[in-house]
Amino acid sequence: MTKKRKRQDDFQKVKLKVGKKKPKLENATATNFKTKAIHLPEQLKEDRTLPTNNRKLNIKDLLSQMHHYSGGVKQSALLGLKDLLSQYPFIIDAHLSNILSEVTAVFTDRDANVRLAAVQLLQFLAPKIRTEHISPFFPLVSAHLSSAMTHITEGIQEDSLKVLDILLEHYPALITGRSSILLKNFVELISHQQLSKGLVNRDRSQSWILSVNPNRRVTSQQWRLKVLARLSKFLQALADGSSRLRESEGLQEQKETPHATSNSIFINWKDHANDQQQIQVYENGGSQPNVSSQFRLRCLGTLGTVDEDLSSPENLKGFIEIIIPLLIECWIEALPPQLAASVGSGVEREPLQVMQQVLNVISLLWKLSKQQDETHTLESWLRKNYLTDFKHHFMSHFPYALKEITKQRKKDTNKSIKHCTVLSNNVDHLLLNLTLSDIMVSLANASTLQNDSSWIETIRKFVTETLKGGTRLNSKQLNRLLGVSWRLIQMQPNRDATENLIKAVYTLYQQRGLLLPVRTLLIKFFSKIYQKEELRSYRLRYRSKVLSRWLAGLPLQLSYLGSRNPELSTQLIDIIHTAASQANKDLLKNLQAAALRIYDPQEGAVVVLPAESQQRLVQLLYFLPTLPADLLSQLSRCCIMGRLGSSLAVTLIGILYMRSSFSGWSHSVNDCLMTDVDYLSFLFSTLTGFSKEELTWLQNLRGVPHVVQTSLSPVLLYLTDLDQFLHHWDITEAVCHSLLVIPARSQSFDIMQSAISKHLVGLTVIPDSTAGCIFGVMCKLLDHTCVVNEALLPFLASCCYSLLYFLLTLEKGDAEHLKKRDKLWEVCVSILALLPRVLRLMLQSLRVNRASPEELPVVGQLLRLLLQHVPLRSHMLTNAILVQQIIKNITTLKSGSVQEQWLTDLHYCFSVYISGHPQGPSILNALY
Amino acid sequence: MAAPMEVVVCTDAAAQLWSCVVWELHSGANLLTYRGGQAGPRGLALLNGEYLLAAQQGKNYICAWELQRKDQLQQKIMCPGPVTCLTTAPNGLYVLAGIAESIYLWEVCTGNLLVILSRHYQDVSCLKFTGDGSHFVSAGKDCLALAWSLCSVLQADPSRILAPRHVWSQHTLPITDLHCGFGGPMARVATASLDQTVKLWAISSGDLLLSVLFDMGITSVTMDLAEHHIFCGGSDGSIFQVDLCSWPGLREHSFQPEQNTGKVFKGHRNQVTCLSVSTDGSVLLSGSHDESVRLWDVKSKQCLRTVTLKGPVTNAAIILAPPSMLNPEFRPSLPLPHFNKHLLGAEHGDEAQGGGLRLQLGLHLQGKEPSYLERLEQLQAVLSSYLEKNMLGSQMLPARVFDLEDEVRSLRKINRDLFDFSTRIITRPSK
Repeated sequence: MTKKRKRQDDFQKVKLKVGKKKPKLENATATNFKTKAIHLPEQLKEDRTLPTNNRKLNIKDLLSQMHHYSGGVKQSALLGLKDLLSQYPFIIDAHLSNILSEVTAVFTDRDANVRLAAVQLLQFLAPKIRTEHISPFFPLVSAHLSSAMTHITEGIQEDSLKVLDILLEHYPALITGRSSILLKNFVELISHQQLSKGLVNRDRSQSWILSVNPNRRVTSQQWRLKVLARLSKFLQALADGSSRLRESEGLQEQKETPHATSNSIFINWKDHANDQQQIQVYENGGSQPNVSSQFRLRCLGTLGTVDEDLSSPENLKGFIEIIIPLLIECWIEALPPQLAASVGSGVEREPLQVMQQVLNVISLLWKLSKQQDETHTLESWLRKNYLTDFKHHFMSHFPYALKEITKQRKKDTNKSIKHCTVLSNNVDHLLLNLTLSDIMVSLANASTLQNDSSWIETIRKFVTETLKGGTRLNSKQLNRLLGVSWRLIQMQPNRDATENLIKAVYTLYQQRGLLLPVRTLLIKFFSKIYQKEELRSYRLRYRSKVLSRWLAGLPLQLSYLGSRNPELSTQLIDIIHTAASQANKDLLKNLQAAALRIYDPQEGAVVVLPAESQQRLVQLLYFLPTLPADLLSQLSRCCIMGRLGSSLAVTLIGILYMRSSFSGWSHSVNDCLMTDVDYLSFLFSTLTGFSKEELTWLQNLRGVPHVVQTSLSPVLLYLTDLDQFLHHWDITEAVCHSLLVIPARSQSFDIMQSAISKHLVGLTVIPDSTAGCIFGVMCKLLDHTCVVNEALLPFLASCCYSLLYFLLTLEKGDAEHLKKRDKLWEVCVSILALLPRVLRLMLQSLRVNRASPEELPVVGQLLRLLLQHVPLRSHMLTNAILVQQIIKNITTLKSGSVQEQWLTDLHYCFSVYISGHPQGPSILNALY
Repeated sequence: MAAPMEVVVCTDAAAQLWSCVVWELHSGANLLTYRGGQAGPRGLALLNGEYLLAAQQGKNYICAWELQRKDQLQQKIMCPGPVTCLTTAPNGLYVLAGIAESIYLWEVCTGNLLVILSRHYQDVSCLKFTGDGSHFVSAGKDCLALAWSLCSVLQADPSRILAPRHVWSQHTLPITDLHCGFGGPMARVATASLDQTVKLWAISSGDLLLSVLFDMGITSVTMDLAEHHIFCGGSDGSIFQVDLCSWPGLREHSFQPEQNTGKVFKGHRNQVTCLSVSTDGSVLLSGSHDESVRLWDVKSKQCLRTVTLKGPVTNAAIILAPPSMLNPEFRPSLPLPHFNKHLLGAEHGDEAQGGGLRLQLGLHLQGKEPSYLERLEQLQAVLSSYLEKNMLGSQMLPARVFDLEDEVRSLRKINRDLFDFSTRIITRPSK
């Protein structure tokens, strides 16, 4: 039983009931685990020879994958290539030829993803490859590009534009070299040639018509917009490239082209004199080849297509003939004549964009034609062929406005905007109108003014209103606007109209807070008008009132501008300088009025601006009609204060000398310019180096480390900073020269003397630089005709002693003042040699019994040095008794203590130079 | 005949004893003096080797002396205003004078005032002709230097504004002196200015070749004939030498401790007003406001001689003495005409005399020379006679012509055959 039961246990039948879950079998396979495939994206092998990317594929593998039939492989190869090249940029140089040939080949790939990857790779590569590196491969690149542009598949055509964008951005010079093919491609992108037989015989301009392709993803208008945007970019690059070669003309292209800087040499005389700079003016004598030559034996960019691009007027004419009818068609499509009636309320965004691109292309074509057109034949041809068309289509509804988009259509427009954001994200109806005016105005000239007066008048009104409207214009709009105005002014003989235009520009100029580029443009515009006016001869010269008001306001503006905007100040100074050198009366009058502000030593433009502008301002002084005393005193402050730089200060003194009555020929005295008194007082105050206030302030200084005091001299020395000292010294040189060249030497010496005795004698604290400079000037000016004022001598003697005392007590460690030593010693000794009476007075003042014991060694050393100095020896000899007396006094004072070294030296020197002299002892003996 | 003597012509502003003195360059011997008036700066000119012209300082006339009759003032040319500078064309046909801001151009043979150029905005300070007289350069206190072509100035119609060939506006302060180099229209012009620079320009291209910046305003400039050096006189009396040709090969050999002093002539105490170099380039003459004229050896930079005058030196120049200067028997080939004060054509009675004065060069030869028609006939005769002679000389000619025609025919045939053959070849595969 048990056995049976047991067996029953073993093979118990499981009863399955409806509604209950089936119990799991014990031997059922568990299927609840999850599996994952092991994915090995990278090879384990490590190639040591070539760098690899993340997937361990080297450049050869990747390039060979490019030939794979599958789009996915190609795409991944392109991505891998990008990865590899970003990690190892040096591969680019090594394999450029292979990379480019493979990458450009897939511009025409059927798979959109592959093309996208190729474009991305190109985008990545382009900034890394320089123009001269890619130029040998550029024929290949452009061949692939043009095959993509002319491809039958629309997608490839669209993507080719992206490639073109990249190339235009990075290699404008190279791509414009292939213009003959590319321009044709552009035309073919938006149109097709009529091949029907009836049209064959007609001229080619009619044989192209706009094409509509229903298969495109975008509307044909958007497509055209895209193509036209690229075309205008391309033409822009072309125009830029050619304007670099030719001399630019007009306000738009006023890039700073420094006149012939390439071959003119600028050198500094000092460098040349030191043989640091050699001059080689004549090219044939040069031993070095001229390396900056642009000449190439082989023409790399354009192989045999030179005769077809737009560089010749004939080809340009041909292209214009093809493209302009197409553009007009585009315009009509964007703005159908039946809708045009309602144009007053505005044009919608998208047509406006098309219109703008159309006008852009035309204006660029005009610009190109102007660059090539020397004889104005092209201009008249353009006028003949297109004026009527343009007038009819463009001008009939001239000022175009943007229509505000209504709410219901917002969704729609958003979508279209998304397409167009690449091209131009904001539509600028003002720019559109201005471009149109530019195009139209360039078709007219002075001789045809009669016929065109109606539409010219419209444009003029529009321009004037825009200028006066006070709207915020950006520099691009303003550039166009001023270009149109300039052209209008040029061809308009009528003065009132011109005056109105200038006035309108002036109202714009008067606005506050204009941006610098805008302000610069306006200034350039005015200066151009001014120069044009000045070119006319006197009879025909007509002074525009607004213009002269503008010009007259410049000095005041400059003075108010201060240091806020140095660039603007530079421009203003340039114009003022030009006008002043041309002796423009209004300007000079205003400059005179503003001079006190400009040349203010505290915050005038002359001290706050950078050095370049300072120099121009200093030069401007030459042209001032009069130099009154107050201006001169300011200028002398400017010179002294050291904010002008010593070389510039010297220049200033030189210029003033040139304007003074002493430089000219005797007859040409301009007495109204600057009186001699003012000039001399300028020189003297510059010589002093300190203003009266500063000097009086100095008088109260005592016991400061900067003041040197001795017990033997009433004059205290104020020690100046080394910088100030050297600056003062440099200026003194210039002042000295100015004084020296005054013909009546004795008179100028007298004036200098009386000035010193009036302003400096009686002061107790004197700056060391002032004392030194006065000595220097007196030494240089003194000659046999001059009579020295008696009252001056004691002052000079005490100054001299103070200086010498200062020099002898200088400590070795004081590096700053040590540099002064040689200069000061030289002037002191020379003044003592030139004026023996000063020496005598100084020796007399050495009452050693009043001196402090510390000062005695200094006096001893001084006497020894004076004795040793050869030029002074004879004078010392005449004062031998005095010297002997002083030495005797010192010896008695020192007798108590031990004989020191300096005293021994002094005794020795005295005995050698004076007692040893043949006459010396006899005189002494006679006296004793 | 010996080489012409080099002499120095000087004037000073005082003019106490004489207004102009001529002395021999090397010996310093006084040769001639001219009396009357004070010559102004840059106002001395030699006309055609026969007359000496001196613009008077601050006065509105020009003195003219015959070169050999030194003591006698020949003529006073009245001008509309004080003359600031004066020059004459090298061929002696024109006189240029700067009067205020205008340039006056006279024709010497008639004395007519041909043109008044007013492109300067302030006083003209110096005027120079190029060596061949085809161009002249003017510079003024308005910082501008203008290069004019004489032809275009003379031919322009009065209605149009006369434009200079080049406008050089890089100077920023008044130009004080200019020197025109050798080479006619290819010459280089050096200008000196108070803005402390000396600039060198090319007349042919109008380019700025060189600009040298100094420490002081430059008041005079000159070049030697070979244009190896520019000499620049500074406002403090130093004269600087700028070498235009560097010799890179020499740089290793030249070790001179005092190199930087080797390019300055020091001696004058006031601004140098005029400079001149002798034709061999070895001697430099300088005149200064310190009332002295100095002669320097260019190579060693030493002062050879100092001549002290009575006033600031206004003009000093080394010239080759024209034969008339030293020959008392010499008479000028042309009497100096009366110089007109008014522009030709603007005068009232001008049409009456001016109408018939159209000169045609070579007119006096017309009688002797055959006309062009006659010449043509002559030429034809010569040609035909030559042809006839050839024909007669060789009877072969017709035969030769025949031969050649035959050859042409055969060549044509071959060409046609070739064409047929090739078309056959080409068209076969399409068959």
